[in-house]
Order: sequence, then C-alpha cells, then structure tokens
Amino acid sequence: MTLIWKLLRQHVSVGQLAGFFFANLLGMLIVLLSLQFYEDVVPAFSGEDGVMKNTYIILSKHISAVSTLGGEAQTFTDADIRDLEAQGFTRRVGAFTASQYQVYGSLSMGGMGIGTDMFFESVPDAFVDVQWPAVDAQTVPIILPRSYLAIYNFGFAQSKSLPKLSEGLVSMIQLDLRLRGEGGVERRMKGQVVGFSTRLNTVLVPESFMQQSNRELAPAAAAAPTRLIVEVKNPADDAIARYVQDKGYELEDNSLEAGRATYFLKVVAVIVMAVGLLISLLSFYILMLSIFLLVQKNADKLQNLVLIGYSPARVSRPYQLLTVGLNALVLLLSFVLLFWIRGIYLDRLWEMFPTLAEGPVSMTILIGFALFVIVSFFNIVAIRRKINRLTPRSPKMFKRGLYSTLNGK
Amino acid sequence: MNTISLLHTLPRVFADRPSLPPSDIWKQDATLERGHLYLIEAASGTGKSSLCSFLIGYRQDYEGKILFDGSDIHEFCTYDWTQVRQRSLSTMFQELRLFPELTAWENVQIKNRLTNHKSDADICAWFEALGIADKREVKLAQMSFGQQQRVALIRALCQPFDFLLADEPVSHLDADNTAAMGELIMNEARSQGAGVIITSIGHHMDLPYDKVFKL
Repeated sequence: MTLIWKLLRQHVSVGQLAGFFFANLLGMLIVLLSLQFYEDVVPAFSGEDGVMKNTYIILSKHISAVSTLGGEAQTFTDADIRDLEAQGFTRRVGAFTASQYQVYGSLSMGGMGIGTDMFFESVPDAFVDVQWPAVDAQTVPIILPRSYLAIYNFGFAQSKSLPKLSEGLVSMIQLDLRLRGEGGVERRMKGQVVGFSTRLNTVLVPESFMQQSNRELAPAAAAAPTRLIVEVKNPADDAIARYVQDKGYELEDNSLEAGRATYFLKVVAVIVMAVGLLISLLSFYILMLSIFLLVQKNADKLQNLVLIGYSPARVSRPYQLLTVGLNALVLLLSFVLLFWIRGIYLDRLWEMFPTLAEGPVSMTILIGFALFVIVSFFNIVAIRRKINRLTPRSPKMFKRGLYSTLNGK
Repeated sequence: MNTISLLHTLPRVFADRPSLPPSDIWKQDATLERGHLYLIEAASGTGKSSLCSFLIGYRQDYEGKILFDGSDIHEFCTYDWTQVRQRSLSTMFQELRLFPELTAWENVQIKNRLTNHKSDADICAWFEALGIADKREVKLAQMSFGQQQRVALIRALCQPFDFLLADEPVSHLDADNTAAMGELIMNEARSQGAGVIITSIGHHMDLPYDKVFKL
C-alpha cells in the first residue's frame, strides 16, 4: 500500500481538502448542535412531567351555575366520545374512570394524624407514560398532582406548623386507606405515592385496580366519564381549539400552549438542521470535486496500475481511506465541539430552569454516526465509479468469473 | 491459459479501408499456443499497438473475435481482466508504463508486492544480469530509455504467466543487452512453460522463433 500511496498522493491538494474539512465540520456541527439543543431545551418548554406526554389533552364539560342547578349531565356520552374519535386531530381517546365508592385516606406522623375524604380516578394504562410499579396486593400505587404537595407545603403545613414534605419523603410514607362501598362493604388498604404529575389534575390509580375495586365495592353503579384524555397528533392544531369551543367543552391546563411552544421549537430545530445538512451536502460536493480532480490528474498512474494487474478496487482504496479518514476526523471534532458548546449553553439554561434535566445525547451521537456512515458510503461508491470509468472499459464491469471458470481458479 | 486465438480480427479503424496490405493476423485465423515463441513483425501503421491493446484488454475497438482458451475476451469483466493481468498474461509495454516518481527498485516492487512472485535476491540478480544493478535506487525519471526498458522487463517477469507479451522490448538496446534480455526472457518462459510473443518493427532479438507473423 505504501508504494501505491507514494504514487497516488501526487497532486493531493491540501487546500481543497482543508476547505472540505472545515465546511463539513461546520455542517456536521450545525446538524448535531440543533438536534442536541432541541433535546435539551424541549423539556423546559413542554412541561413534560414523565407521567403524561404533551400531546395529551384533558377535556371536561363546562360547569356553570345553570347546568348545576338544572341538573344537566356533565358526563360524556358514548356519542360524544365517538364524535371526538372521528376528528382528524385525534389519535385516541381514553375516559377517566372515577371511583364509585367512598375513600377515606389518613396518615399519621409523629403522633399526629391527619385524614381526609378523597377519591380516585384512573385512565387507560396506555395513556400513562410511567410503568406502574409492582406493589403487593394490599397496596395501591398512586400518582398525585404536584400542586397538591404545594398546597400542603405552602398552605396547610405552614399554618398548622407541620413539617414540609419533599416528593421523595412523600413517596416513603404509606397512606392508610378505607374504601367503603354499597351496603357498608369496607376494605382497608395501604396507599403509596409513586409519582407526581404537573399535568394530571387528579389522584390517579392503576386502571386494573379501579375496575376491580368498583366491581367489588359498587357493583351496581355504572359511571359515565366526566373527563376524557385525548392524544392529539399536533397540539398546535387550530382545529382542536375550535372543536372544544363549538362543543362547549373545557380544556384543562395550558397543555395547548406548551404544545405550541414545543411545536415551534421543533420547526426551528428542523430548519436549522436542514441548513446544516445543506452545508454538509455542499461540502460533500467539494470533496467529490477535489477527489475527482485528483483522480483525473493521476489518471495515467491509475491506468498503469490497473494494466499491470492491480484491481480498480485496490487502486481506489487509498482515496477511499483518505476520505473516510477525513470524515471520521470531522465526526470526532464535531463531537468535541458539540460537547464544549453544550456545556456553555447548559450552564445558561440551568440559570433559567434550575430543575431542568439535561436531555439524552444518544440520539445526537447516533445521528452523527449515521451521517458519517452515509457520507462515507457515498464517497466510497463515487470514487470507485470514477476510477472504474477511467480505467479500461469493459462492457460487463461487474459480471464476475468468466475467466475464473475457464481456468478452474 | 493455453491458447490465444484471433478469428478474423481487424481493428475497426482499418475496416473501411478498401484494400489492406497482406497480413498473417488481420482478417485471418491465427492461434498462439502456450510454450511457443512467436515474433510479430510489423511496419509502422499496421496496427501493432492496437493488437497489444486488444490482447491486454485496454481497447476493444476491433471486429472479429479474440479468444483466450476459447472464450471471447469481449465478454470479460473487470475481475476477469485483473486475474488475467495478474496470473496469465504479462506485458512489457512499448511505452513501458513505468512510474517516473519511483526508483527503479520501487517500480519493480510495486508489481512484485502484488504478486509475491519473486524474492528480492532474484530481482537483484536480474538487475545484475541486465547491467543496471547500480541504478536500483535511482529515480526512473533520471534513467535513459534503454535502462528503463530493462526495468520494465524485470517488472514484467515478476508475476506468473502463461504468455509474455513484449512490445518492442529491445528498441533502445545494444547487441549485448539485447542478448542478455533474450536469455532472461527465454529462461523465465521455459521455467514456467509459458509462451512468448515479441513484436518488432525492425531490430529484434535473435531467438529460435517457432513462428514469425507479418502484421
């Protein structure tokens, strides 16, 4: 290889290759940086809480004085649900199921006990992004709204001189639950808080537990849902807001706003990424022109090598290695620069959003490697084709083996 | 490879000429066999370079057929040609096709490293026998054409072959060197049982040719 390289490195233009190198580095860096920035920043905008995706919205019927006094149903009928499912923006609809029995929850801390009447709700498991942890049959896993904890800590505990509770601490406390159904049937259980949600404004329990406990404690009651959880294709879709208004429904929380912010962030990220890809593409073009020029200048040498028995594949290899090496160097340097820049902007982000967790880097690294592989593949093929075209033509370039079958080799 | 057959072969550029000078090869059926020594004598412009280009797979602008062991070389793919050039048909080009950037030794090694056919000692002995032992480390660009011809021959012998095609190998050599080259070619061809095809436009080696073709 060294002798061939000694021959074929003639006319290698350092200037052109440096031009490619920096152009490709810039393109690659823009692509990776926009991707990583998106991954890191999106959680800050979307208010994702790990329990519920931001493409979910929660619908309820509007409650007014008239509807309450008039005894008008605030529940969703099957027809309402079917109509919602038929909308273009809907991916799927799930109903909230409420407990049809009484729930009394209490907990005692340091000799002091507090207790309250409460309720449970559940949504189909497919809508809950966390895996319900496995607990024993006598314990109910519960997801609480984060706001409940805030109300307790800053309202209740403050005024009653009770200790403030962190999320971690609450998760360690076991609630005593008393479930009382029809005809005085009573069941005592333990409750354990397994998570908090900023988006789901309810005391959430697993759907399977809900069904079983309703069957057991309130076999006669059949409840129509008062709230629906809807997965939409695009939260920024105007049609959702129009539909909600037409039907007189209400949207809980500002999930649409967060969804919009995420959506626009996504659009911006995609545009920036496209610019990066364009630069990468142009740099690829520079590299190809440079290599083609090199091949053209060394055409006689390549031809001579082939005529003394070298295969076109073998004489292509030095140039292929050169380009793949350059691409690898670009990838490596892009990663180094990426993580350096990321360190800078993450510091800024943390000043603004102290609780923000940094996004995953796996996708960026994967995309970087994918780009490297794709670009290198096209480089390798293009160089081989160019050299094949230079060397003596054969009508059947890739049909193997006529000579070899003849000679039994 | 045991035979090279030319069946009514004619360079396409000659095809529209009304009359051709008499030739033992063009428009004839001619067969070259392994183990034999052939001389192809040609006058300028009779298509000697074309013939060599056809045989080495460099050009395909001919009519009729050229067969290696009965199979049409027009059908060969790139892989086939690479195999032919590495193992069956060694060529010493008239224009030499050496690399002026490399030394004489490197020019030979670039071939021998591909085939691993000869030891360094064998190659050294050949440099000695052809009187260019002192030029081994000299850049080819600084050597005379006659010296370069000898390097080209050594390179051509650094591979196994069934046929050696030497296109005007001694055009720039004196009588002594011509004789030395002839001896080297014959020794190597005999040891491999190979055929030798030598072309000439006048001055040629004095060897026991089995057949002389007029082109």
